[in-house]
Amino acid sequence: MAANMRGLTQFIADIRGARVRELEEKRINKEMANIRKKFKDGNLDGYQKKKYVAKIIFTYILGYKVDVGHMEAVNLISSSKYSEKQIGYLAVTLLMHENSDFLRLVVNSIRKDLDENNEVSNCLALHAIANVGSSEMAEALSEDVHRLLISPTSQTFVKKKAALTLLRLYRKHPTVIPAAEWALRLVSIMDDQDLGVVICVTSLIMALAQDHLDAYAVCYTKAVDRLHRLVIEGEYSATYAYYKVPSPWLQVKLLRLLQYYAPSEDATLRSVLHEVLQTIMNNSAEPSRNVQHNNAQHAVLFEAISLAIHLDASSPLVGTSAVLLARFISSKETNVRYLGLDTMAHLAARADSLEPLKKHQGTIILSLRDKDISVRRRALDLLYSMCDTDNSELIVGELLRYLKVADYALREEMVLKIAILTEKYANSYKWYIDTILQLISAAGDHVGDEVWYRVVQIVTNTEDLQEYAAKVVFEHLKSPSTHESLVKVGGYILGEYGHLIANDTGYSPLEQFQVLHSKSQFCVASTRSLLLSTYIKWVNVFPEIKPQLINIFERYRHVLDAELQQRACEFYSLASRPDDDEVLQNVCEEMPPFPPRVSALIGRLNRKLGDTEDKRTWIHGGKEMNLERHANSRKATLPGSSAPGTATVTGTADAQDVMSSLAGLNLSSSGDQPDSSRVDGSVVAPRVAVGPSVEKWFNKLTYSAEGVLYEDVQIQIGIKSRYQGHLGQLAIYLGNKISVPLTSFTSTIHVNDSEALSATFAKIPPNTLVPRTQSQQLLHVECKKAFSSFPILTVSFLAGAHQSISIRLPISITKFIEGVKLGQADFFERWKVIGGPPREAQAVFPITLDGTGQLDLVRYRQVVSGNHLEILEDVDPNPSNLVAAGVLHTSVDGKVGCLLRLEPNREAKLCRLTVRSTSEDVAAEVLRLIEKLLRLDSS
Amino acid sequence: MISAFFIFNQKGEVLISRLYRTDFKRSIADVFRIQVVSNSDVRSPIITLGSTSFFHVRVNNLYVVCVTKTNVNAALVFEFCYRFISIAKSYFGKVDEESVKNNFVLIYELIDEISDYGYPQNSEIDTLKSYITTESVISSAIAAEESSKITTQATGATSWRRGDVKYKKNEAFVDVVETVNLSMSAKGTVLRADVDGHIQMRAYLSGTPECKFGLNDKLVIDKNSQGGASDAVELDDCRFHQCVRLNEFDTSRTISFIPPDGEFELMRYRSTSNVKLPLRVIPTVNEIGTTQVSYNITVKANFGTKLSATNVVLRIPTPLNTTGVDCKVANGKAKYVPAENVVVWKIPRIQGGQECTFSATAGLTSTTTRQVWARPPIDVDFEVLMLTASGLIVRFLKVFEKSNYHSIKWVRYLTKASGSYQIRF
Repeated sequence: MAANMRGLTQFIADIRGARVRELEEKRINKEMANIRKKFKDGNLDGYQKKKYVAKIIFTYILGYKVDVGHMEAVNLISSSKYSEKQIGYLAVTLLMHENSDFLRLVVNSIRKDLDENNEVSNCLALHAIANVGSSEMAEALSEDVHRLLISPTSQTFVKKKAALTLLRLYRKHPTVIPAAEWALRLVSIMDDQDLGVVICVTSLIMALAQDHLDAYAVCYTKAVDRLHRLVIEGEYSATYAYYKVPSPWLQVKLLRLLQYYAPSEDATLRSVLHEVLQTIMNNSAEPSRNVQHNNAQHAVLFEAISLAIHLDASSPLVGTSAVLLARFISSKETNVRYLGLDTMAHLAARADSLEPLKKHQGTIILSLRDKDISVRRRALDLLYSMCDTDNSELIVGELLRYLKVADYALREEMVLKIAILTEKYANSYKWYIDTILQLISAAGDHVGDEVWYRVVQIVTNTEDLQEYAAKVVFEHLKSPSTHESLVKVGGYILGEYGHLIANDTGYSPLEQFQVLHSKSQFCVASTRSLLLSTYIKWVNVFPEIKPQLINIFERYRHVLDAELQQRACEFYSLASRPDDDEVLQNVCEEMPPFPPRVSALIGRLNRKLGDTEDKRTWIHGGKEMNLERHANSRKATLPGSSAPGTATVTGTADAQDVMSSLAGLNLSSSGDQPDSSRVDGSVVAPRVAVGPSVEKWFNKLTYSAEGVLYEDVQIQIGIKSRYQGHLGQLAIYLGNKISVPLTSFTSTIHVNDSEALSATFAKIPPNTLVPRTQSQQLLHVECKKAFSSFPILTVSFLAGAHQSISIRLPISITKFIEGVKLGQADFFERWKVIGGPPREAQAVFPITLDGTGQLDLVRYRQVVSGNHLEILEDVDPNPSNLVAAGVLHTSVDGKVGCLLRLEPNREAKLCRLTVRSTSEDVAAEVLRLIEKLLRLDSS
Repeated sequence: MISAFFIFNQKGEVLISRLYRTDFKRSIADVFRIQVVSNSDVRSPIITLGSTSFFHVRVNNLYVVCVTKTNVNAALVFEFCYRFISIAKSYFGKVDEESVKNNFVLIYELIDEISDYGYPQNSEIDTLKSYITTESVISSAIAAEESSKITTQATGATSWRRGDVKYKKNEAFVDVVETVNLSMSAKGTVLRADVDGHIQMRAYLSGTPECKFGLNDKLVIDKNSQGGASDAVELDDCRFHQCVRLNEFDTSRTISFIPPDGEFELMRYRSTSNVKLPLRVIPTVNEIGTTQVSYNITVKANFGTKLSATNVVLRIPTPLNTTGVDCKVANGKAKYVPAENVVVWKIPRIQGGQECTFSATAGLTSTTTRQVWARPPIDVDFEVLMLTASGLIVRFLKVFEKSNYHSIKWVRYLTKASGSYQIRF
């Protein structure tokens, strides 16, 4: 601080010196009165204001109520001196809560500071926004913060703060930030030179990408690339190495980010990622002496293992990690044990085979007795996840034994988990009943109603079980102290199935009645009414104890509880009807089996898992649970997309119109990433660049192997292509035409129908393009099935501002056709075999003649042969007619034959094009492609 | 009984620590410090943690604490604490941190004397002073003689008095001191008015005199008899010094006693009916908009013109956002004290029947959160000599002694208020 404020120092010294609270209060009251007077009198210079506001802040921090000085603080913000501005901002962030009216006055000053060319003011303003984070500020200022973040002139530390400010605003007011619109621009900052900026932006993107997966899909490549550079190429400045680990925070964030996305299809990315993960695991194979080094390494390692599991739970990497994890769970450090168990639970939740985990079952069970409760919890989760039919008896037995000594906080969850496991992996029903009753009698209060409902459901639906269940329940009821849940189960089961065991010695009706009734006085009203229902059932099946039962009904007719009284009255009159009456029998028919329903237990368990800041990418439980969950979440997003009603429907229809007129793209029905994109309301597929020359270049390339695809003042994109069967290779030449490097260069391929066509870069594209040079990128394409839309190449880069160009790549189905030579007879034979529609596609369209009034036959030939069809000479008697044949190679659907006949008519200026193919889709598509090219000159 | 006795200062540091029994360790003091001194939520004077009870009394930022494990009579323990405080006061004037530190040897001596194995013992100040002296050295011969006297006195019928007191001039002073508590609503109705009184006596009488004490004719004590006349003086909760013969009082309502030598408190009482309020305060306080408050306060002396109230201090609260107060007074001085958010109006003397007025305007500053001013009550302190608010009058004090000497008796009355004479507005 420039000038030290003597008054403030004195004030603080006085307060510190006050021996008792009363003196302190007196001093503060006095000071406040003085400040009020000064403020009221006005005419204060900046220094005085600063001093008094500082005193107010100090008083406020001490916990006293302060209700003056807000205006002065607001004035200080607009001061030009740093120290005054700083105190002003401090006061604003401390004194004003987010709904304070004064914030409205501040917004403009803050905007001014954001716009200023002074980094320090920028930072102060950013701090204030992040600290207060009111919705009004978010609405008014998020644009400005974003501008600071992306501005090329911003200093790194401003960028860092801006990114974190946006993160805070997004967390607080997610609707205010147009996350999808900013996606590309924000992702491009992940290529920043400064790792600090990258960390901050990655944090921001992590938050945004969770909610806008598709819009931020580009970050996948960026993250992989960054990891590669960080871990393998060691490209980082020394300041970012933390105990020799290159920026562990960034690594963890990137690895976590990658887990939000489904594993990439791109082979290159996969191999790079594999290499990265492998390196990380190798690095941390040897624990080092240094605690900090270990911590950093473990942090990265655990996240890497999680990612490996996420990518492919059966890869050898996961095998390696299982070995590592095994070492961790018996580590001496509590944190490591905790993380080890947690990650193992992840593994158990995703892996196909639990064998590697079962080897460590003993250790895991021992962890249930760990001294740290959080570790015990994780061990419980892990045991729950790794349980299957083979080890269920062991695990459940162990859990039951542990339940008796477990913490109260843990018991309810344990009970639920034991109940689920018992039901799911029961080898025999007897075991199920034994275990669950043991559970109810052991855990007592922690047993939710769902548990015993489920027992009743299962017993009712399983006929073989009923007698056994009745016996076991009876035995349990005989013990002197029983829990109420057990009485409920007992009441129900004995009522329904008591007669099955009534003839055995020791289970006579009277004994059953006595045992059950002896418990009734300790029970609440709802249990008693359940017991009354049991008694009426017994009136039906055990006439020998009818007098006792009627006696009970008689007594209950006078209790205060309305429910009990009503039941008793109804049952009493029902029981007192003459013996030959059939009403009772009809009423007390045996319960029909319940319709099979999903156990309510799992729902209950899932409800208990609160949402934390980061979405979990998996849940506890076996593999099926995770699969189910994925399906559910997908389903859940569907209704959301249709919810807004007709407006969206027409909206998407419009969008489809536009798209189909461009290139017949039907984006919203692509298989892989459909739902959330519509929910966001933003179109995922980039908008394709248009323009007459773009169209010309593109059309030219559809029937030639090389040429220019796009060109403007900054960049030139050219293409060379080679096709062999169903495979093709495109060399994309990217030329930088200006004198500065294009940074944060990203190129991505968007394929609509990834089932039919795959396009991947041979390696991750470099992210800078040196001035006046050309770089080449190889793109591998493979045709799997017939497809109808062109893939889209999106190139984005920073040249001053962020630019993004999307262009269709001239990869059509005809590129994968190989011409065949056929004789006249062969041709017509096949032509006839294929026959008319639907496997024939035909179109008649007008054509223009060339300058001399002749048909442009040369061009027609060029177009047809450019589409890889072999022109057959001497097949058609009319020389101006063209006949061609070819075979389409696809990797999935195999080969598809294709015949073409073009009949131009000079007089009518019309042309008839007929395509016959063994596949109707192919016929229509080839027709569409060639017709479009031939038509062109008519326009 | 009491197992341990501590004195803590404001910060929770132990100044005095005495364990009477072995059932506690010294570290029990830490428990009190953590649970009570540093825990601002606890304001109850008795805290029981497990089977341990802490009784504490606060005086001048000191905590006087007794700790026990048994179920003792709480009133007894508090009486013990207060008795300790009054003993300490009479030994070294003021009880605060500094005086405790300066006199710690004396204090240990005292607390060992007034309690034995946790049981309270003779705590009569005059008696104690005869053998626990602040002067250090007494010659041993006298000490031996004295100590035998002490023994006879402490074990005799009148443990509070020695038999061989001789004065040239036999005098007895009686001071009736009453403290008036009042809270009056803004409308002028009395919400609560009562009087705490005590009769302090200084007896310088020879021999073992038998005294008889007579109060008002129409006196209702402890309101047992319902038929008290409306203008009668009613006393509740009378409490007498141990020298008063209670059985005589119970049967015939006469107060007779053999007084201890020197100063003692003869009686304590409370009166809640027919309280005469010496000062009448009529406040008019208006909030003018949000920027000003105007005050107009009249104080009227409500007693005979011969008497006068002295040291009258009115504390008139101001809103918390006051910037300054402009006061006009005819009598005394008025000043805004920002540290306490009050205007202090001091009047040295008000004659009976006189009226004083105060008018002021307070300027306010604007605040962020507009909250209603709570209007705390006006607080009045004063002293009026020769007046009892309860109407209590000493009719006679008779002294009978074998030698039948003549004695001179003086009676003084004082009514005062400090801190609890409050008028809302």
